[in-house]
Amino acid sequence: MSNRSRYIALVAILLIALFAAGCEPDQAVTGQPPAVKPPEKLAGPPAAETMSVTVYHATKDAAYLVAETYTLPKTDKPVQAAVEQLLTGPKNPELIRALPEGTKLKGITVKDHIAYVDFNDKIIKNGSGGSAGEIMAVSAIVNTVTEFADIYKVQIMVEGRKIHTLYGHMDTSEPLSRSEKIIKKSL
Amino acid sequence: MLRRVLCFLVICAVLAVSSAGYAAKAPSPMANQPGNRLLAVVGKTAGASVTPGGQQLTQIRWANHIDAVTGAGRLRLVIDTTGPVQASGKVTVSPTPRLVVNVKGAVPGQTDTDIDLDGRIADSISMKSEDDRNTVITVELPLMVEEGEYKVFTLPKDIPNKKPNRVVIDINQPLPPAKFSFTAGLKDKLIVLDPGHGGSDPGAVGLAGNREKTVNLAVALRVKALLDKAGAKVIMTRQDDRDVFGPNASAVDELKARATIANVKKADIFVSIHSNAATNRSAEGTSTYFYQKTRYDYLLANNLQAGMLQAGGLKDKGTLSANFYVIKRTTMPAALVEMAFLSNPAEEKLLAGPQFQQKMAEGIVRGIESFFAQAATKGGEW
Repeated sequence: MSNRSRYIALVAILLIALFAAGCEPDQAVTGQPPAVKPPEKLAGPPAAETMSVTVYHATKDAAYLVAETYTLPKTDKPVQAAVEQLLTGPKNPELIRALPEGTKLKGITVKDHIAYVDFNDKIIKNGSGGSAGEIMAVSAIVNTVTEFADIYKVQIMVEGRKIHTLYGHMDTSEPLSRSEKIIKKSL
Repeated sequence: MLRRVLCFLVICAVLAVSSAGYAAKAPSPMANQPGNRLLAVVGKTAGASVTPGGQQLTQIRWANHIDAVTGAGRLRLVIDTTGPVQASGKVTVSPTPRLVVNVKGAVPGQTDTDIDLDGRIADSISMKSEDDRNTVITVELPLMVEEGEYKVFTLPKDIPNKKPNRVVIDINQPLPPAKFSFTAGLKDKLIVLDPGHGGSDPGAVGLAGNREKTVNLAVALRVKALLDKAGAKVIMTRQDDRDVFGPNASAVDELKARATIANVKKADIFVSIHSNAATNRSAEGTSTYFYQKTRYDYLLANNLQAGMLQAGGLKDKGTLSANFYVIKRTTMPAALVEMAFLSNPAEEKLLAGPQFQQKMAEGIVRGIESFFAQAATKGGEW
């Protein structure tokens, strides 16, 4: 008996056993038994492709950023998706959102490897107003966006205009590059 | 219950068999399970592991970078290659500072490889091959770059991002020689004190409602009183609750106005006094920020930090470099102190009280005094 025919025989026996047992879909651990899937489905249109994005959140002492990786549905606007994820906040309860509640992304354009990332004014109005909070916010935006290979620098915008400072300490008047020093590898 | 168990066992058996040796012949049905789909993972693909040799250097790109947190400048030069190469670099001083990079296994391609840079960190770059196998890349530098302040490395081909093999040269912006000369003591020193925020800008606001602008001014006035007594000349960017530039100034005009006062008056040092805040209320401690224009900026910040820690006894969050407007755009040694967190309820209570405010003021003054004592020993082109 060849390997292949032994396989078919085994699958057949198992299928019989399965139906004899009256396995209902909602009882199965992973849904339908894989063997019953019609093979032509594999050649069908690619369903729900995913992508991986890395987003930075603040540590509780507001001294470092820690990366979190998310698997998101694939989109032709991956940078937007990453920033939206940044605005959603961390999965890990030991981390703190780097941008204030209510902050919304208004748009991103990329030109000459510089991303112009535009937020609503809640990023300022709802912010802590402190140096530490400002460093967390600015570096989380820059480091999240520069995870993408073709983006070298980030200009932060608020309500469509370039801002020179977020909370009155940092100089954000020119495009900024990522900061590795602020990243903590693990908690 | 029995049916559930049986069902589970059957599925396990099917999975075990199908993945045990048949996956290669028939596509595994598992691959079509939602949640088990193998991702088209974007990742770094290592270049082919062939012995370097016979490659070409095809294109040079460069960009100046500003670190988002520290504001430190860095030049990155990227040279595309047709395949894997080896590269190493060394800074030499004679006759002028230059970074010499040896690339093994590649020669310059047809593109123009000698380019002028903007002179901020490097003046120009040129390439030469002497033996038809290897290339010497010379980067002309306006200022000496110390060991550890530059890095030469290679990057493999990155197929998902459509990038070829690359040689990367990173050079950190070197510090210009400082031309200050300080004497010890506080007498006759011209010191600009900058109470952070003010007027239309309250700065951070604590849970109990204490405003940063008020706390900062209270401490600054106490620092002024102590410095006056010691014979120093003190200029305040604001003496009361107001915008320095003018009513309802834009944030950047406000910051510019504060730096301008110190620059126009040719102050010896500039000290900006602030209270910190973060989203998380547990964040706590004392920190001092500097922007490294010369070595004196760190020296000032570190002395202020030590003075405040000794006086206040809070958690040491460190002497940190930051891309802060007022300390970057002032021409003299400058530092921005963050005494404690107004967003932390316990520290807010401290900051609002005259006792702690006086302690902080004394700590800041001690820091300024020890800065001048140490700076007096440097001098020349330190």
